[in-house]
Amino acid sequence: MNNLPPLEPLRPAYRLSCMTEAQLAQMQAATLEVLEKTGVKFPSQKCLHIFAEHGAQVDWETQIVRMRPDFVLKALQSAPRYYTLGAQVPEYDLPLQDGVSYFTTDGCGVETVDLESGLRRASCKADTAMMARVADYLPSIAFYWPMVSAQDYKRTAPLHEMDASWNNTVKHVQSETIMGEIPCRYAVEMGTVIAGSQEELRRRPPFSLTVCTIAPLVQDTHGIEGSLVLAEAGVPVGFLAMPTLGTTAPATLPGALVLGDAEAISACVLMQLHAPGAPVFHSIMQAWADPRSGAYLSYSLDSRCRYAPVEMAHHWGIPSLGACYGTDALRAGSWQGAAEVALDPFLGGLACPEIVTGMGLAETYTLLYPEQLLLDDDLYQRARYYLMDIEVNEDTLALEAIHNVGPGGHFLAQKHTRNHMRDYFVRCITQQIGPDGKYLDAHEAARQKLDWILKNHHPEPLAPEKQAELTRILASADRELNAG
Amino acid sequence: MTEITPTPPLQPIVPAHHLRVLDGAQLARLQEGTLTLLEEVGVHVPSEMACKIYAEHGARVDFRTQIVRLSREVVRKYMAHAPRTYTLGARLASHDLQLDGTRLYCTTDGCGVETIDFTTRQRRTSRKQDVADTARLCDALSSIGFYWPMVSAQDFPENAPLHELEASFNNTVKHIQSETVMGERLARSAVEMAKVVAGDETTLRTRPPLSLLVCAIAPLAQDRDGLESALIFAEAGLPVGFMSMANTGSTAPATLAGTLITGDAEIISALVLIQMNTPGAPVFHSLMPGIMHPHTGDYLATAWEGTLLYAAGVELAHRWGVPTLAGVFGTDAPVPGWQSAGDAASSLLLCALCGAETGAGLGLVEACTLLYPEAVLLDSDIYHRVRIEAGGLEITPETLALDVIRSVGPRGNFLKHRHTRDGMRQRKFSTLSNQRNVDGSPADPVEVARQQSEHILKTHFPQPLDTQQQLELRRILEAA
Repeated sequence: MNNLPPLEPLRPAYRLSCMTEAQLAQMQAATLEVLEKTGVKFPSQKCLHIFAEHGAQVDWETQIVRMRPDFVLKALQSAPRYYTLGAQVPEYDLPLQDGVSYFTTDGCGVETVDLESGLRRASCKADTAMMARVADYLPSIAFYWPMVSAQDYKRTAPLHEMDASWNNTVKHVQSETIMGEIPCRYAVEMGTVIAGSQEELRRRPPFSLTVCTIAPLVQDTHGIEGSLVLAEAGVPVGFLAMPTLGTTAPATLPGALVLGDAEAISACVLMQLHAPGAPVFHSIMQAWADPRSGAYLSYSLDSRCRYAPVEMAHHWGIPSLGACYGTDALRAGSWQGAAEVALDPFLGGLACPEIVTGMGLAETYTLLYPEQLLLDDDLYQRARYYLMDIEVNEDTLALEAIHNVGPGGHFLAQKHTRNHMRDYFVRCITQQIGPDGKYLDAHEAARQKLDWILKNHHPEPLAPEKQAELTRILASADRELNAG
Repeated sequence: MTEITPTPPLQPIVPAHHLRVLDGAQLARLQEGTLTLLEEVGVHVPSEMACKIYAEHGARVDFRTQIVRLSREVVRKYMAHAPRTYTLGARLASHDLQLDGTRLYCTTDGCGVETIDFTTRQRRTSRKQDVADTARLCDALSSIGFYWPMVSAQDFPENAPLHELEASFNNTVKHIQSETVMGERLARSAVEMAKVVAGDETTLRTRPPLSLLVCAIAPLAQDRDGLESALIFAEAGLPVGFMSMANTGSTAPATLAGTLITGDAEIISALVLIQMNTPGAPVFHSLMPGIMHPHTGDYLATAWEGTLLYAAGVELAHRWGVPTLAGVFGTDAPVPGWQSAGDAASSLLLCALCGAETGAGLGLVEACTLLYPEAVLLDSDIYHRVRIEAGGLEITPETLALDVIRSVGPRGNFLKHRHTRDGMRQRKFSTLSNQRNVDGSPADPVEVARQQSEHILKTHFPQPLDTQQQLELRRILEAA
């Protein structure tokens, strides 16, 4: 067991808005127009009934729901602006608030480059567990997305991912894979075990869920029905739109953002109609279609206003899940792996979403190189220092030390240097020195740090009775969902 | 005869947004710190010529120790002469750079001493042909607003800086900024070469094709040859700038604020000298501190805490009312790769958002010493990512595309829509990432950059100097 080092979220000393109030109002009006005139498809009788009962215009044949602007705005009034994402230990609770961005890992990959063999293979539950332990160690990671799929557990993989996560990190866990009413009921049961009671589950929910919408303007049946279950239980749910410019979205960025916004907002409205006051969050991760191949690209050269969705979410008055990292690079530690993502945590910090995904995967969120999390962590820490204030005071101005040294001298022997050098030099991954006295290659340094964490870091385990309860719930879910 | 290819229009970074990393009170406190250092500690100026100028204009000069102290009044009086905006001229007027605070122009890095050979890929000492080749390569890149001779012409040891200028003027139409012309003799020849390129005295002064960057010596000292060179450039109307590379913990205090004022005092003392000698001379300020590695003593340009210093340097320059050359790119990485890419982007964006007018430099690794031919293309890719990011978002009925969304509706696709065809042509994609080899396998962006650099060198031949100008430059070189 290890002591709990404090989390290191981004707390930017300076901020930047990339959109004006007028632009935000223009975007919101456009989203409202799409919701009213074009509508969103909800392929779920349950959802359609909820909308109809509350006065939305429902076309039962096409399953398209249209809603007036006043209907949308009224429903969203009950959405809380801030709430807490709970952890197993109160020290790692995340009180969502202005001026603080909590980061998580990426997920949910489907392949792993095996640590021992170096070979690429299908991901499994043990990978999720291993990376949860690494994430538990890193102060940059405030909460954990199961990084890869527990594909050795078929239809209950999402629940096994939660089990692996809770058994290996005391931090908040956010799933991106628990879809459907029945799996979500099991997840609520597991979450209640972790929280201790249904009341604690609502007060300090130890897990939350991100659900992807389907572009253009469609909700996923299982995703949206599962969300209703979590919203009823007081577990936060967020909706992530991934419009692709040129295929599932217009080839202009404002058009793609409005489309994604309509998807996310329509789902948030549904949650508020069904469980007023349910904690929700909003996310848009725009991507591009490669015009030659149609391939989904997370990064084009033109990634401008990557964090405009953060400002859009805040304009609606709900928290935002920002989108950092997620390189299209094929290997960890490559030029492309940094060129695409290095700007992300800095820009994300300037926009200051409440929560942010996600570090550590390659090949467009699908491939886990375990050491990549350490490389992405390094870029995160660089941004964190960038966003700090420069302290200017009598001590830091060091006039006396400069007087003592004078022109042409050096500061090595100054007491002031000894007192401050430890604070002012934080060694990054490219400044590690190997046994030969030379700087280590960043990739090699990341591997060494990973090995050290896996050998030495063992977070506080779940109480045995809680472990047993989770195992019992999983066995029940396996019987029900994996039968046949 | 080689066919001339046009130099593409420049694409500076024009930020749609601005931010400040230091507030007014912090800047005032830092500036006050600099003034205190200049008045009480002083700066070592090992040049009789410079010391005399200082003394004649009200500085307190100790001729024995060569320490110059400047009162607040003297500093403020002479800094008031320095212009806030001016033009860096190019051979082609279309490539002149207006330093007016609305845009950031970037240059290459320099002046490296080793090259990965363009053909053999072996590491070797740099030479004049490397300067010529990289000048031509950079002429073809819209990211490069002006050119620093990237490596030293070490095959001409006597007059390497002048050979670097000749190689540059002959291979790019863009503005040239030297970082190596030091000392009176070289400076006079360089000014003569600039006159040849400009064509006449008026053009030399209004659209100077050459500028100079001089490094100060931390802590609080000037280089004699550098200062004397700068005085000659300034007299001729050529812009000069001073850079401090104070190193937190060794040649500067172990605090960021202390490092900033040490470096600032070095720069400002030199800019004051230039204004004393040539009031109104175009000057610039460049603060690029590093942080010392406590085990090796190395100057690290990219320590986590250090990079914020570059943006702070931009704001200090503007506080003094002069343009800046900001620290952008510049990596401690040994090869182009994850580290060099990770080092680059944030500093560039931050300095652009803080309003930097110029920035250096793209294309070298190993702390500005080693040239890989492909590195400038890799950095260029990152430059354009930042340029587009900083440019902001255009929200219009056309870009909102509500009619298009309505016509496609839920579960449709946008592929067939005319708006998509038009819009996708305007989207910018990397020419390095996500490329395919001939056999369809994914191409390594570093290898793609290498191939592109080869292609440019085979096909890009910018507008040459007139034959007469070429001969004149040759004559000046031979005389030197």
